Amino acid sequence: MTTATSPRSREFVATVKLLTFPLLILAMFGLFAMFEPRIASARNLVNISSQSTYLIVFALAQTVVLVPRGFDLSLGNAVSFTSVATALALTSSFAAGLPGYAVVVLGLLTGLACGTAVGLFNGFFASVLGIRSFIVTLGAMNICYGLSATISGGRPVFNVPEAFTTFFYSGTFAGIPAPILWTACVAIAVHVVLSNTVFGRTLYLMGCNPRAVEVAGLPRRKYFAIAFVLSGALVAIGALMLTARTGTGEPNLGGNLLLQAIAAAVMGGVSLSGGRGGVFHAITGALFITVLSNGLNFLQISGYLQQIILGLVIILAIALDKSRD
Amino acid sequence: MTREQRQTMTRITHETPPVRLDWRHHLTETTGILIAVILGLMLILSLVEPRFLAAQNLANLLRSASILAIISAGQMFVIIVRGFDLSVGATMAMVSVVTAMVMANVPEGTATSLTILYGVGAGFAAGAAVGLVNGLCVAYLKVHSFMVTLGTSSIVVGLALYLTNGIPVYGMPRGFSSEFGRAIWGGLPSAFYIGAGLALLFWVIQNLTTVGKYIYAVGGNFKSAVFSGLSANRYLVMAYVISGLTAALASILLTAQIGSGQGSIGGVLTFQSIAVAIIGGVSLQGGVGKIENVCLAALFLQLLTNAMELLRIQSQLQAVILGLIVILVAANDIRKTRSV
Repeated sequence: MTTATSPRSREFVATVKLLTFPLLILAMFGLFAMFEPRIASARNLVNISSQSTYLIVFALAQTVVLVPRGFDLSLGNAVSFTSVATALALTSSFAAGLPGYAVVVLGLLTGLACGTAVGLFNGFFASVLGIRSFIVTLGAMNICYGLSATISGGRPVFNVPEAFTTFFYSGTFAGIPAPILWTACVAIAVHVVLSNTVFGRTLYLMGCNPRAVEVAGLPRRKYFAIAFVLSGALVAIGALMLTARTGTGEPNLGGNLLLQAIAAAVMGGVSLSGGRGGVFHAITGALFITVLSNGLNFLQISGYLQQIILGLVIILAIALDKSRD
Repeated sequence: MTREQRQTMTRITHETPPVRLDWRHHLTETTGILIAVILGLMLILSLVEPRFLAAQNLANLLRSASILAIISAGQMFVIIVRGFDLSVGATMAMVSVVTAMVMANVPEGTATSLTILYGVGAGFAAGAAVGLVNGLCVAYLKVHSFMVTLGTSSIVVGLALYLTNGIPVYGMPRGFSSEFGRAIWGGLPSAFYIGAGLALLFWVIQNLTTVGKYIYAVGGNFKSAVFSGLSANRYLVMAYVISGLTAALASILLTAQIGSGQGSIGGVLTFQSIAVAIIGGVSLQGGVGKIENVCLAALFLQLLTNAMELLRIQSQLQAVILGLIVILVAANDIRKTRSV
């Protein structure tokens, strides 16, 4: 057993385990490239990395609540809500004539306010009242759907200012495309919070053994609620990036994102029963999903079939999650 | 500490309430409140909006309430065994498409009754298959049911849309659509009779059969059900199969009413069925839930929808209100189990 082996070989086994999944993604990529050489072109590689950024942010949002044994079903509709509300704020007469930086600040503030509000709502009911998180987020999912459809009248909000789309999508900073830069910042921030703060380490303990958190005198409910707020903020950042990419506030933006974010997180190795998983897992999981859907798109597989494949991936991820324990 | 011990410990300290509320008390309270609210709503509606009492409006109301009650009855069994079936909407889409496709493609010259029989049979088979997959995954992979059913719903909707390319399927016999789906028998819609029959069947199962008692036992405390020698997994799977079958029945009724097979039906019904079950007093802690209260809750929810439509409240806002109701009822459920 692992306890009998020396620390060094245990470390070796851990490294091998960590690298298995990235190698699997590479193998899948190679397989796709054999069928369709254009998949391996430099242009498509850039494409994949910028496409995966959004999913990475959403997978991180899901990871932050999965670690302390929570769950967020409201993710997709929270994205729609944030997108529509931000676009409405940016195109309102109030925002007309604002200078570029003010537009960006306004968008960022509106988006974060919406996202954290949803997170706070989820966190309050899930931790203070102790309702199971996925019932709360199921309710929040419907509330967000209703709100985004009502305030937008069910139509996309056009004319998002250019300063906003440049900052979050088309611009480059020191040669790095905006989505990649912001995602890297977010990923580093989440990694620091999860690994190097008492709050982050408590989330892991909460996932493994909630009782121990209370015995240790840590504020279990407060931290659980904060995890949801943090997740809401991440959802908002992802939603802003997506809104900048489409250039409109879309009431249907969330569509498949919930399933993809869950599939990415769990496939990457974030445990459904809490306590395991981090930034690395979310990123590899998101890359897996992106490479898969990119390859299927190149091979011209119908969107309906892709939906079936996504469902199968989720079931597979669940089975893998079980086998890891 | 092994994982098993850890899980047991968590369950004892966090998931299971220390003392369970007497369910008889719970039942009378829920039934009473629901009946009072329903009567109150009907009274207000008939005073404020005379159109409410129109025969057409009442028939529509009763038909939708019956269909909602049928889906929620299946959801109830799944929640009793501490699960959630998020795939009922997807199952309905799949069943609708399968039923319509089979009916539209039977060989020329087949008798109408046989055509309907094949279509309905195929629909039920499809529903049961989805339920079986859900049940087996939950029972043997031992994972959260909502993860499994989220995955299967993606697969099943994808399949329904892939089979039809997203286009409605026409070509069902008139005997199925206009003469059954939209029929009014003795002043009441056909779906009402079927819903009432099903409710009676489930009432008998819950109150007079051992199967019903075992399902409560498995939901109330899985471990003690296993220790008392029940093949608990069998009843777990059974609950999901029932849910698949009721979703199929509801879908067949809805398909007959619409007159075409649609890969898009069932959208909001998943959430509504969970809402109805919870409002009807089915406890999220498992082991508690009565068919009669679920039926009343379905009627209540449909009345509320009808009221909002008559008062011209935007349908999207209804989702907000429903979401809030579910969370508040769930909070109340927690409060009840804690305070005892």
